[in-house]
Amino acid sequence: MNEQQLHAKLLASGLPGIGELDTSARDPFVRVDAGSIVAVLTFLRDDHDCRMEMLHNLTAVERPDAIELVYHVCSLARHHALTVKLSCPRPDGGNHDTWIPEVPSVAGVYSAANWHEREQWDLLGVRFAGHPDHRRILLPEEWIGHPLRKDYVYPTWHDGIPLELDAIPLYEPGGGQAAAEAAAASAAGAAGAAAKAPRKAGEPLFQPPAPLSTRPLAPGGKTTDTPASELGSH
Amino acid sequence: MEALELYAVDDRADVYTEELKLNLGPQHPSTHGVLRVELRLDGEIITAARCDIGYLHRCAEKIGENVSYLQFTPYTDRMDYLSSMNNNLAWSLTVEKLLGVEAPPRAQWLRVIMAELNRIASHLIAFGTYGIDMGAATPFFYAFRERESIMALLERPSGARMLYNYIRPGGVAHDIDERWLPDVLAFCDEFEKRWAEYNTLLTTNKIFIERTKNIGVIPRQMALDYGLTGPVLRGSGVKWDLRRDVPYLKPYDEIEFDIPVGEGTHGTLGDCWDRYWVRMLEMMESIRIIRQAAVRVPTGDFVEKAMLKMYKSPLKPAAGEAYMRCENPRGELGFYVVSAGGASPIRCRARGPSFCNLSVLDALLPGCMIADGVAIIGSLDIVLGEVDR
Amino acid sequence: METLIRFFSDLFHLSPDGVLPLTLAYSVCIGSLLGFITVYAMFAIWMERKVAAHIQIRYGPMEVGGWHGWAQSIADAVKLLFKEDLIPDGANKFMFWIAPAVVFCGVFSGFIAIPFALGVQIVDIHLGLFFIVCIASVEVVGVIMAGWASNSKYSLFGAVREAAQVVSYEVPAAVALLVPILIVGSFRLGDFNAWQEEHGWLVFHNPFVIVAALIYFIASLAGCKRAPFDLPEAESELVSGFHTEYSGMRFSFFFLEEYASMFVAAALVATLFLGGWTLPFVNVSAWPVPFGIVILLAKIFAVIFLQMLLRWTLPRLRIDQVMAMGYKYLLPWGMLCVVGTALFETMGWRWLPL
Repeated sequence: MNEQQLHAKLLASGLPGIGELDTSARDPFVRVDAGSIVAVLTFLRDDHDCRMEMLHNLTAVERPDAIELVYHVCSLARHHALTVKLSCPRPDGGNHDTWIPEVPSVAGVYSAANWHEREQWDLLGVRFAGHPDHRRILLPEEWIGHPLRKDYVYPTWHDGIPLELDAIPLYEPGGGQAAAEAAAASAAGAAGAAAKAPRKAGEPLFQPPAPLSTRPLAPGGKTTDTPASELGSH
Repeated sequence: MEALELYAVDDRADVYTEELKLNLGPQHPSTHGVLRVELRLDGEIITAARCDIGYLHRCAEKIGENVSYLQFTPYTDRMDYLSSMNNNLAWSLTVEKLLGVEAPPRAQWLRVIMAELNRIASHLIAFGTYGIDMGAATPFFYAFRERESIMALLERPSGARMLYNYIRPGGVAHDIDERWLPDVLAFCDEFEKRWAEYNTLLTTNKIFIERTKNIGVIPRQMALDYGLTGPVLRGSGVKWDLRRDVPYLKPYDEIEFDIPVGEGTHGTLGDCWDRYWVRMLEMMESIRIIRQAAVRVPTGDFVEKAMLKMYKSPLKPAAGEAYMRCENPRGELGFYVVSAGGASPIRCRARGPSFCNLSVLDALLPGCMIADGVAIIGSLDIVLGEVDR
Repeated sequence: METLIRFFSDLFHLSPDGVLPLTLAYSVCIGSLLGFITVYAMFAIWMERKVAAHIQIRYGPMEVGGWHGWAQSIADAVKLLFKEDLIPDGANKFMFWIAPAVVFCGVFSGFIAIPFALGVQIVDIHLGLFFIVCIASVEVVGVIMAGWASNSKYSLFGAVREAAQVVSYEVPAAVALLVPILIVGSFRLGDFNAWQEEHGWLVFHNPFVIVAALIYFIASLAGCKRAPFDLPEAESELVSGFHTEYSGMRFSFFFLEEYASMFVAAALVATLFLGGWTLPFVNVSAWPVPFGIVILLAKIFAVIFLQMLLRWTLPRLRIDQVMAMGYKYLLPWGMLCVVGTALFETMGWRWLPL
């Protein structure tokens, strides 16, 4: 069955929230509402003519006005495939820090969706209601932010390591500008200044610079993820 | 799902025993990369397992949103670094679908040969490393002898031994020299003889069969539910191969080849041995495809002339999106690219087959022993570069 | 041994039963045996690397020392000596320290009963075979100590697997060894050599002895933790099993122990089944002593070569398969061999015109 027939079957099923078939795209897709995605995918999976046994891909795409969830389902028995799209409109002022869209999870329909949805939560910050294991999958558990968002600001500091190259002083053996300045300074203040005390054990090698971005890592100092204290032990 | 904690197995027994919590990985000889599996063990039996991935996450999808379509091709090499021709192919086909162009016939036939050669190389590694996982160190060296020949062959057109960056949107990067196709046919003759040796080493080895039969059985419904593809799916008896069912390159329509599926030869259908045997048979089918393709490569352009301008200034496809899937050695690699008219895509999603194949591990491991767990991970044939991207 | 005691007692004009000649004689013997074992282990490691390499279509050591890298093991031994002695945090220091010693002593003690030629053995023990079988099980204690003391789950796994495997396989090994004992009628290893000098190799005496030899060979492989039974040190699963946390000289002790136990197992196979230091139809006892030693060593190295071939060809068995093979296959067949041999002996049957 081609996409038109599949769309007709969906409309005939009587499920609510099924939108138009957009044929302008190279892969024609069907828009559905967020509330009916589970019912639609269940229908596609179980219906005798559709028999979409496999969820091939689950992607979230951030557009200027919405976050779209794209479900690619395919059928091995019937040799056809369909793309289903779900759109979460962006509220006014919705940006990386303030807006986490929420859609129902289809992990109950296809077990493949389990890891795909975890990845989209991890990278794009889309919440899936009803997901059995809603955790980050690729990034560390304590990571803050969702990197694939367009307005994601890279952190400057993580886990004690500066993440910007300018923050790490370059090693200049013997010569170089920093050593010349230090020599000038010590020559000027040699009389009164004490010799530079050797580094005590446990003292940091150098002080981390102030973060270059003025944006706090999360609004109100709270993270959008589970605090580290509430995570189970690894 | 609760965190994997220690708890007592049976408080009423005379002996107070606990379950052992063990980390398999991320540094481990048998996890095929930096994969960490948290195991809860009752003696040797695994009672619960949880995969922890992301150790090789290199933000390929974010990078894809910042580089041009041509510049992203080497990044696809490095996802499944053992079958980089196939990754390049999937990406190039996706971009071509987005642009609405098609590669010229010579490029298509060359692409088929490159993809199949790389399939053999990838399956050789799967075979060799599976032997090492089982404790037989020798098949690995035999497999790499053939792999050396393939890498030498693929080095001649592309210039690289492993990360080829050869199949580009519009065609291929360079043309082949005149001696290349006869050398490929000579390699096919050599390989067929050697394939018989591999079978004596592992396939018919009683110990190997005992280690892999009835282990990690994936029923057909579970395979479809978890989105498994490739030899893992075919090992469960599902005769589905994109090259035959949804041909993404025209030559696959014209070439004759079979799709091997598991038949439960030594144990239950869908066990580790079936997946292993599917990979072995696929190597021979690839040889068959290469033999037919090598004599039918037409003359002509090796890249679409209209696409050559991408080397001077970046491609700017019209706004739209495309999803294309290809049969990689590990499964179906899918690229979903969304363009908004600019030089870079606004979304560049790679659906890695190893990512989906690995998700079944949490369900397969409980109930088997550690040694079986190693066998199961080996039979899924994952590459962490593709799992994590 | 008597000659050495007499030599020392003559040298110092003391009675042959005195303490000094005895001590000196035994020290010389044990010292030379230790030296032999170390040199043998280095040679065996080189041989293993060469055998592995040629099976795997490559060359192995070729550089160190010139001709086919013969000095590779010496270089490795020197390197291991210079390595940093790491003790894991939280390890039980005493057990960690003593485990390699226990393991090595257990195996080394088996050497003192092996006759290398007529009259050439450190102690002529009347229950020589029984002694070797018993003393070799001391190494199990050492391995368990090593695994436990390392404070690592992987090591503990290897140690527990090893305990189960080695202890279990001593049973079919001992049962298989009953077959030559039945035929020769003695536990003394020198008697086996003497009997085989007269009657030809034991392995051809009886069809059951062939099966018993195979059973003992396989069981000894499991006792040495060699592939296909190398679960305790399964590299692909447990990194290195019970000796994961050991480095430097301590690790080299475990390595020495593996090759020493291979030697003891091969020596038992050669002595009990393949004729020991005798050759068929030839009166080797009349020849000078070094000939006997050379013959025995040749047979031992042939068996060791076979062990190495098996290691590099076969995959590894899982622990429950190892147990099943030991108890469900090797043990019943071993008992069948004992019964069959007993039948042959009482009935006085002959199956070959020997």
